[in-house]
Amino acid sequence: MAPQLQLGDLPPAAIPNSAEVYPAVRPGVAAQGAEVYRSLGCNQCHTRQVRQDALLFGARLTETGTNGVNLELPGSGKTNFVNFDLLIALAKVRTDLAIAPIALPSGLAGDTNVAPKFAQFGANLALLKRSDDKSGIARPTTGPSVNELAARRPAEVLAQVGPDAAERAVKLLGDAGAKAELVIYNLGPDMDRGWGARRSVARDFLNDSPVLLGSVRVGPDLASIGTRAPEKFAAPWKFASTNTATELEQHLLVHLYDARLLAKGSTCPSAKYLFDAQKPEVRYAGEPLTLPGKDAPVFPKHNARALVAFLLTQRTDVGLPEAPTPAVAAPAAPAAPTAPAKP
Amino acid sequence: MTSTQPASQTACATAPSVVEVEASCRLPVLFLSFSGVAWLVLGAALALLASVQLYVPTFLEGCPWVTYGRLRPAAINALTYGFALQIAFALALWLIARLGRVPLTNPLGLFMAGKFWNIAVTVGVYGVLAGDASGYDLLEFPLYASLPLFASYACIAAWALVTLHQRTERDMYVSLWFVLAGLLWFPWILSTAQGLLLGWHVPGVVQAVVAGWFGNNLLQIVLTGFAVAVLYYFVPKAVGRPLANPALTQVGFWLLLLVGGWGGLSQLSAVPAWIPAVSGAANVLVIVPVIALLIPLWQTADGSISDAWKASATFRFMAVAAFLLLGVTVRTAIFGGHFTQFTLFAAARTDIIVLGVFGLAALGALHYIVPRLTTGEDNLPSDGLADLSFWAGIFGMLAVGIGFSLAGLGQAKVNADATKDFLVNGVSGIAGALQLVTFGYGALALAALAFLANFALAVRRCCAACCGGAR
Ligand code: HEC
Repeated sequence: MAPQLQLGDLPPAAIPNSAEVYPAVRPGVAAQGAEVYRSLGCNQCHTRQVRQDALLFGARLTETGTNGVNLELPGSGKTNFVNFDLLIALAKVRTDLAIAPIALPSGLAGDTNVAPKFAQFGANLALLKRSDDKSGIARPTTGPSVNELAARRPAEVLAQVGPDAAERAVKLLGDAGAKAELVIYNLGPDMDRGWGARRSVARDFLNDSPVLLGSVRVGPDLASIGTRAPEKFAAPWKFASTNTATELEQHLLVHLYDARLLAKGSTCPSAKYLFDAQKPEVRYAGEPLTLPGKDAPVFPKHNARALVAFLLTQRTDVGLPEAPTPAVAAPAAPAAPTAPAKP
Repeated sequence: MTSTQPASQTACATAPSVVEVEASCRLPVLFLSFSGVAWLVLGAALALLASVQLYVPTFLEGCPWVTYGRLRPAAINALTYGFALQIAFALALWLIARLGRVPLTNPLGLFMAGKFWNIAVTVGVYGVLAGDASGYDLLEFPLYASLPLFASYACIAAWALVTLHQRTERDMYVSLWFVLAGLLWFPWILSTAQGLLLGWHVPGVVQAVVAGWFGNNLLQIVLTGFAVAVLYYFVPKAVGRPLANPALTQVGFWLLLLVGGWGGLSQLSAVPAWIPAVSGAANVLVIVPVIALLIPLWQTADGSISDAWKASATFRFMAVAAFLLLGVTVRTAIFGGHFTQFTLFAAARTDIIVLGVFGLAALGALHYIVPRLTTGEDNLPSDGLADLSFWAGIFGMLAVGIGFSLAGLGQAKVNADATKDFLVNGVSGIAGALQLVTFGYGALALAALAFLANFALAVRRCCAACCGGAR
């Protein structure tokens, strides 16, 4: 009974900045597709559970802030803004980096804005040195420095660390007037394979009945097949146009018709019985499907389209409190197709 | 038999003769045994066809009825409900009658209920092939098959329990504890699971938890329990010694009921983390009752094992089944974790328990029971067929177990390492191991056929004897 007590009343999660909730109730066709998925026993070979080994965090510097001082002479037309506080903060976060000495141009020694800040910086450096010594940190004097880090934006200040370290870093950088964000790393072979942005959790299956989690991976996990990047398929492919949603749908239809057309050696059973060879005698026959290497097109039946519509609703790119997703999608991620493009 | 009568008088007055007891068993037990083993042939054949599709995808392509996603659950459910549970009922009835020294209550009714059970299983397998599978592992039969299944079970169990109640031998031998536990446990888990899934409509992954709980209880308590009941009856019999160490047996029995039901949820990942954690712990803990149950058997047989092995086909089956019980428990405890999750290695636990632990013990028991109920001799007519059944059964089981395990380990490596190519290492790479599985199912079907042929010979000889040799 315990699982029911814990999960029985699990609500859908609100998606920030929108009126939608996750998981959304599936549109009718996709719900029919779930039935086709059950009926054909796709769950005998495919799981819909992305696993995750670790959830780690990082800190990313996005802006240096406005409290820097210009170390170029006024009137020289050049600017070299340096945020002294940020350098100290970065040095506190990254004890493995050098902090390169900064010389105050002689022309600025009398500047009432720059000079006191520079003096403060010197004092802070001394403090930092003392605390370094106290905690036994031997900071290198050459090599990569926090100065270089501060000059880069965005800069990955910390990567794949525990939540405490990452939060401390974000706070220190924020206190120094800079802007920094917490980065989320979902780690594990499933993520490396591009099978999902985060692990699957109970909430992903609120609208499923029966819940077909699957228990064996004869084929790849399908929890996020709806947002899978083409190069992350078992047999990688490429989008040929910008109409990625339609292309993904076509690709999945071809896969259903005969997986061997796309992946030699695939053992995914072909579902040719979900296609008509001739144009069927119904009014809304839908668009024909062209097959690679074949001249004659085939006509997907309703169940084929429904199954693909269901597959396209499979996604784990929505972050949840219990399973956050990386805030900034990796550059390789495709434009996520939303609802099936065609009925 | 009222309690006022002295015990000895009770026994004299009411204990029926062995002949009487066996006569009452003849119809239902022989019917359940024959049709159960026939389901083993059919289930193994379906599993064989399914396994071929894992490496020859064009095999049986183009027809939804025989696609892997339907054949595999049809096979597993045919083996579980058609073969394993049905034979379990036959053995339960026989053990109750023999150990309780009581003729079966209503043998004709039991026969009819068994008949309905078979019809329900047929309808269920047909439903799965037609695409009506429920989608829950080991509960795949659609409602229109699982309800009649439950109804016919209720009749079988009710008459079995009435018989048990009327037993003249009041002491319950160990085997009867397990029989009784199994007979009560099965309707409890089945009605709870179906009630939660279909009646209460539990939402989301709770469904998967419920189905997983049912499947594990069916394997770990009901079927393992029946297998242990059989072992405890036949091992002492084969070595001709009373059971050693009954106290330890009792500990094992209660511990199995206590911890056995908590494991086996390792296939769940998208659930709160404590569920797989509890399940993993239970998978390890269940070693304790299993060992506690095997030690007395070992102590009973120790010293006579090689003699009994030579003398008795039944004992050979028992020895292998006991070995497999230990093997599958240790295997799940040690390798049942994250590494083998989502692989055929983990999935093969069902095959090993249904076909190996229970299946081989049951085949051994039938080699003892069937001749006694037909020809009245100690052995089935053909020694050759009995040997064939034994060796084909053993090698078939080993091939299925080892093949799935190797294939699963290959998949596990792919799961653990994203640099491995999915198609090359995870699909093509395991084809060899899967061919072994196909061979194994074939051998198991052969073992069942050899037994059925022997069975038919015995029945023919029996009929010939009854009808004075006339054909
Ligand atoms: C016999 C086991 C098996 C069954 C049953 C099965 N598949 Fe597959 N599937 C595979 C294998 C193996 C692959 C990997 C090779 C490939 O990409 O074709 C795969 C790949 C896929 C892919 C591509 C995923 C990727 O990342 O490359 C999709 C989509 C898919 N299957 C959908 C389905 C659907 C829908 C069904 C039910 C009709 C189904 N499969 C039934 C074995 C199976």
